[in-house]
Amino acid sequence: MNKIALLAFISFLLFGCANKSNVRYDALSQSLERGGFSGAIQTIEKEKEDLYGEKSAFLYHFDLGVLFHYNRDFKKSIDHLTKAEQIYEDLYAKSVTNEAAALLTNDNTRPYRARPFELLFLYQVQILNYLAINDLDGANVEVKRAQMAMEALYQKDSEKVNDNGFLQYLTALVYEMNGENDNAAISYYKAVKAYQEYRQKLPTELVDFTSSSLQKNGREDDLRQLNIPNTETPLSQSLEEKGAEIVVVGYAGHSPILGEMRMSGTFVNGEGLNLTYTDGQTGEVKSFTMLAPIVAESGTATAHIAFSLPEKKVLPFNVYDFSIYLNNEPEIYSESVTDLNDEITRNLKDDWSGTVAKTAARVALRTFAAQKTKKAVETSNPLLNLATSIGTDVASSQLEKADLRVGLFMPNRIHMTRIPVAPGVHDLDIAALDSRGATVSRFTFKQVSVQKGQKLFLFIPAIK
Amino acid sequence: MNNFFRVLFFFSLLFLVACSSNQKVSRIDPNAVVDLSGRWNDTDSRLVADEMIKDCLSRPWYSNMIQQKGANPTVVIGKVRNKSHEHINIETFIKDMERALINSGTVDFVASAPERQELRNEIESQAGNATDETRKDAGQEIGADLMLTGSLNSIIDQDGGEQVIFYQIDLELTDLQSHRKVWIGNKKIKKYISRDAVKF
Repeated sequence: MNKIALLAFISFLLFGCANKSNVRYDALSQSLERGGFSGAIQTIEKEKEDLYGEKSAFLYHFDLGVLFHYNRDFKKSIDHLTKAEQIYEDLYAKSVTNEAAALLTNDNTRPYRARPFELLFLYQVQILNYLAINDLDGANVEVKRAQMAMEALYQKDSEKVNDNGFLQYLTALVYEMNGENDNAAISYYKAVKAYQEYRQKLPTELVDFTSSSLQKNGREDDLRQLNIPNTETPLSQSLEEKGAEIVVVGYAGHSPILGEMRMSGTFVNGEGLNLTYTDGQTGEVKSFTMLAPIVAESGTATAHIAFSLPEKKVLPFNVYDFSIYLNNEPEIYSESVTDLNDEITRNLKDDWSGTVAKTAARVALRTFAAQKTKKAVETSNPLLNLATSIGTDVASSQLEKADLRVGLFMPNRIHMTRIPVAPGVHDLDIAALDSRGATVSRFTFKQVSVQKGQKLFLFIPAIK
Repeated sequence: MNNFFRVLFFFSLLFLVACSSNQKVSRIDPNAVVDLSGRWNDTDSRLVADEMIKDCLSRPWYSNMIQQKGANPTVVIGKVRNKSHEHINIETFIKDMERALINSGTVDFVASAPERQELRNEIESQAGNATDETRKDAGQEIGADLMLTGSLNSIIDQDGGEQVIFYQIDLELTDLQSHRKVWIGNKKIKKYISRDAVKF
C-alpha cells in the first residue's frame, strides 16, 4: 500500500508544472480580435501566470515585445525584448534538474529558450525599434548583438543556422546610417548570399542597393561572385539625388503556431521504431521506421507507444501584400524580405528526427516503467489491480504532451520598401492587400516630415 | 521499495527543486569589484573615469592652456558614441570625470547642448514671470574653450561558452576655436568570460 501512496505522491509532484500552450493562443486570439494589440497586451499582463508561467518567461516578454512594437510603443517593446534576450542568455547552461524533469515528464517542464528564428526575429524587431526612435547607437548595439547571436547559432549547429538575409539587410542599413560604408557593403554582400543559400527570392531593391554599395566601395569582384543578373541601380541613384528615404515595413499575415500531431507505433528497445501518423497539412497517413534508441535495463523489451509531436498549424489571415501611394504618385508594390512560415517549416524539419527519437525513448521508458509499476503494486484483489492498471496508464499517457511553445504574434511575412524622397513633407496611403490583390484595409500617414539624409521608418502591422 | 521506485523518487525530488526559486539581498561596498555576467559594469565605468582623469590632467595641454588663458579652461561635453555590443550608459563615467575635474578646481564645465536648451527655456520663462531683481538675462553664457568627445568600441571573440571581450574607450579634447586636438586619452579593458554548458 505504501507503494501506491508513493506513486500518488510522485504523480502529484510531476503534474506540478502543467502545459499552458494549449490555452494560451485561444485566450489571446480572442483578446486580439476584440481589443486589438492593446487588448492582447492587457490580457497577457493580467494573466501572466495562467497563460505563460515561469517556464515560458521568454515567450511572455517576447510576445509582449512584439505586440508593443506593433502598437508603436517602441520603448516598452525594447524593454520586453531586452528581458527576453536576457532570459535566452541565462538559459545557456542546461540545468541537470530540468533535464531530469523533462526526461520523466515532457519538454514543457524545461524553461523555454527560443527557437533560432524567434531569436533572429527578436533582433530584427529590436533594430527596427531603435531606428523608429532615432537611436542610431542603440540600433548599432543591436546589430552587434545580432551578429554575436548568429555566430553562436552557427557554431552550435552550422547545418541548421548559417545566416539570415533580412537581418544582414537591416545591418547594412544601420552601417549605412553610421557612415560605415565598408561594413555596409560587406553586410549587403552577406545578405544576398544568405537569400541565395536558402533559395529565397531576392528582393529587387536589395539587389539594387547591394550592386551600388559594392561598386562604390571597389568590390566589383564580390559583385561578380554574387552572380546577380541585373546590376542596375535606379533606386540607389534616386536616393542619392533626392537625399532622404521613407522605409515602409509591413507585417503581412499571421505566422503559423504549433499544434499537436499524434504518432503511434511499436518500439523494440535498441532495435527498431515503427511509427504511423497523419500529416496535418495533407491529411495523408504516413509511416516510417528508424533505429530505436536504447532504454537502459529494459533488454529487448517491446512496447506499443503513442505520443504527440509539434507540427505547424497555419492560422487564417487576410493580408498578403501591400501597395503604397506616395503623394498620389503611381503605386509601389512592396516585396517580402523574410518569410516566417518558411522559417518555422525549416526549423521543425531540422529538429524532426531528434525530437522523434528523444520523445519515443522517453515514452518507451515510461511505458516500461508503467509495466513495472503495475507488477510492483499488484495485490490479491483483481478490482484494485484493474483500477491501479488503468490509473497507471492514464497517468503515464497524461504526462506526455508535445512542446507547443512558440511566439504567438510573429507575422507570416515581413515586407520592406525603401522609397527615396526629397526632404520635406509627404503623404502616404498604404493598402493592405489580400491574396487576389483586393484591399483589405488602409493605413494613412499625413504630413510625414522627412529631413535631409534621414531614413524614416513607418510600420504597418497587418497580421490579422 | 525496489531500485526503480528509489530512482523515480529521486528524479521527482529533482523536479521539485527545478520548480522552486529563492532570492537573497545584501548590501555591499559601492567600490567592491563584483563581476557577475561579464558585461560592462560599474567597476569598468569607474576604471575608465579614474584612468581618464589621471591622464587628462597630467598632460602638457593643461599647463599650456593655463599659461595662454590665465584661467581654468572651460569644457563642454559633446557626443560620446557607444559603438560597442552592449547598451551602456556612457553618462556614468562622463559624470564621474566631470565631477572629479570640477572638484579638483582645475577645469570648469559648462552645460551640454541639451542641458543648455532647458536652461534657455527657463530664462525665457523667467523673462515674463520673475521679478526684475531675480530675473536672469539671456546672452550671458560662458563659451567653452574645449569640447570633449569620444567613443566606446568593443571587439568580441567567442567560441561556445568562452568569450573574450575587448573594450576600448577613446576620449578627446578639441579646441573649439582652432579645432586642434589637445588631448587624446584611451583606456582598454579586456575580459575573459567562460560559461558552463551544464548546471545543477
